[in-house]
Amino acid sequence: MLLEIKTSATSTAVDYFPIVIQFVFAAGFVATTMFVTHILGPHLKTKKKLKAFESGIKSVGNARQPFAIKYFLTAILFVLFDVEVIFLYPWAVNFLDLGMGGIITMGLFMVLLLIGFFYIIKSGALDWE
Amino acid sequence: MNLLISLTALGVVAMFGGILKFRSMVMPLSVLGLIGASLLGVYAWNTNQSFLNDMMRMDNYAIAFSIVCMAGTLLTILFFHFFHSENEIHYAEAVALMLFAVAGCAVMVSFTNLLMLFLGIEILSLSLYVLAGLRKKDLLSNESSLKYFLMGAFSTGFLLFGIALLYGATGSFATTQIAYQLGIAGMNGMAAMGLLLLMIGLLFKVAAVPFQFWTPDVYQGAPTIVTAFMATVGKVAAFAAFLRLFQLCFAPSKEGYQLVIGTVAAITMLAGNIMAIYQSSTKRMLAYSSIAHAGYMLIAVMTLNASSNGSILFYSVAYTLASISSFLIVMVVQQNRNNDTADDFNGLGKTNPWIAFALAVSMLSLSGIPATAGFFGKFYVFSSAVSDGFIWVVAVAVISSFISIYYYFRPVIAAYSKQTHDPVMTMPAGTQALLILLSLLTILLGILPGFIAGII
Repeated sequence: MLLEIKTSATSTAVDYFPIVIQFVFAAGFVATTMFVTHILGPHLKTKKKLKAFESGIKSVGNARQPFAIKYFLTAILFVLFDVEVIFLYPWAVNFLDLGMGGIITMGLFMVLLLIGFFYIIKSGALDWE
Repeated sequence: MNLLISLTALGVVAMFGGILKFRSMVMPLSVLGLIGASLLGVYAWNTNQSFLNDMMRMDNYAIAFSIVCMAGTLLTILFFHFFHSENEIHYAEAVALMLFAVAGCAVMVSFTNLLMLFLGIEILSLSLYVLAGLRKKDLLSNESSLKYFLMGAFSTGFLLFGIALLYGATGSFATTQIAYQLGIAGMNGMAAMGLLLLMIGLLFKVAAVPFQFWTPDVYQGAPTIVTAFMATVGKVAAFAAFLRLFQLCFAPSKEGYQLVIGTVAAITMLAGNIMAIYQSSTKRMLAYSSIAHAGYMLIAVMTLNASSNGSILFYSVAYTLASISSFLIVMVVQQNRNNDTADDFNGLGKTNPWIAFALAVSMLSLSGIPATAGFFGKFYVFSSAVSDGFIWVVAVAVISSFISIYYYFRPVIAAYSKQTHDPVMTMPAGTQALLILLSLLTILLGILPGFIAGII
């Protein structure tokens, strides 16, 4: 069955020990890097260095101000397609095993995606002006 | 499955109605499509087929509830068409969102895997969030949408955490596996916690006290037609999923949590009905009344015996018919008198006798007076609870039904015994005919309830 691992209902707390280790590692990594950079790094605090980095352009004003909804729309649409492309990777890896059925399924998926894209373009969501 | 595919395809086609300039086709296409999808459902009756690696099963339960949801959607789309011009900016998109929502309902009521339950709830909810904010320039509509989204996202968190814990306890998302593992090992701590969180998530979605606080604002702020849609289709699907989940996974261990659901049901009924009394706006009153009805339906989820499915189905049908017709009447009154307090219904019996008749029938049905569908809805739910020995819950339910008569009858009394100088109310063509049809169906089901009750 899809997405099923073999565990029994009698799993104990010990079975979750790897998760604890992972958690310790994650927290430890953050703590260590923060600590080490603060200790080892040179302390040169100039005005320019403390400024927000805006891709090399001179920074203007406060970062927390209302911005045009167009940016938000573009960002959201990007995320949408970005996430959907993720589905292509597992398919590409298993391309030969999935065979013709895989191609048809993926084709259907891409067509549905394109329908959405077509709708976005037609409804003018990507018109900048 | 064919039903689901055709619903989704219909939604995609309707979505393009606006930008490809075939707006006038959207309504007829959707109506025909919904009827066609229902026929596909009827065709699949008794086949009991499983799909997608046993992740969903189109059994009679799923088909019956899908058809109820589709019928509710059909009525809502018709009303939407009556009151909104085709040339409105997002006409086709709104219809498409309703169709996507009902596709989500079809997934929700046919799941046999918790992933599908989650997916269905999300498809329904995401459509509803957008629909609630349909009037983009209206502050209340925006508030309603945002509130619904934040609360909905929060409750989804509970739901997912519950599913995760159940997965941890049983090693599977499949309902058969979960029931099997729980049967072997019994309810351990992790599974019980998962059950509790799942329950909280679902109680959020059906708006039961103490998770009801978003309902009045959301229902009042959203456009009335969307409110009608949320209160009927959304609620019916949520209850169908709730009951299905408990029937499939947790039925053997029901003694452990019946008291919890029973208490929630009792508080929901009392609180919903008592708060409804204090509302001056009829639309807000109906929002509280929908909370109270969630309480009545929870009784069937609590008893969880062989007759629960049938009684929830009947209750859903009765509630959908009466609710849609009362929201529609509120819409008519709002448009003619710019407000919807009980006083705005004054003299309706003289000026618009048929609308007053429909109002009376739907209010009688909502309060559960005999000879209307609402009576048998309550009767089935209560009698199966009594036969399982839950006298105290039924006692609370009967008391709160009596309380509800007070506020349900307020607009009806205003319509028949008070005078008005306002002119006859005008409404789009066809509204009155549909209201009369809904009233007649309500009365018909009140006289011949066996027609639906015994079907699943």
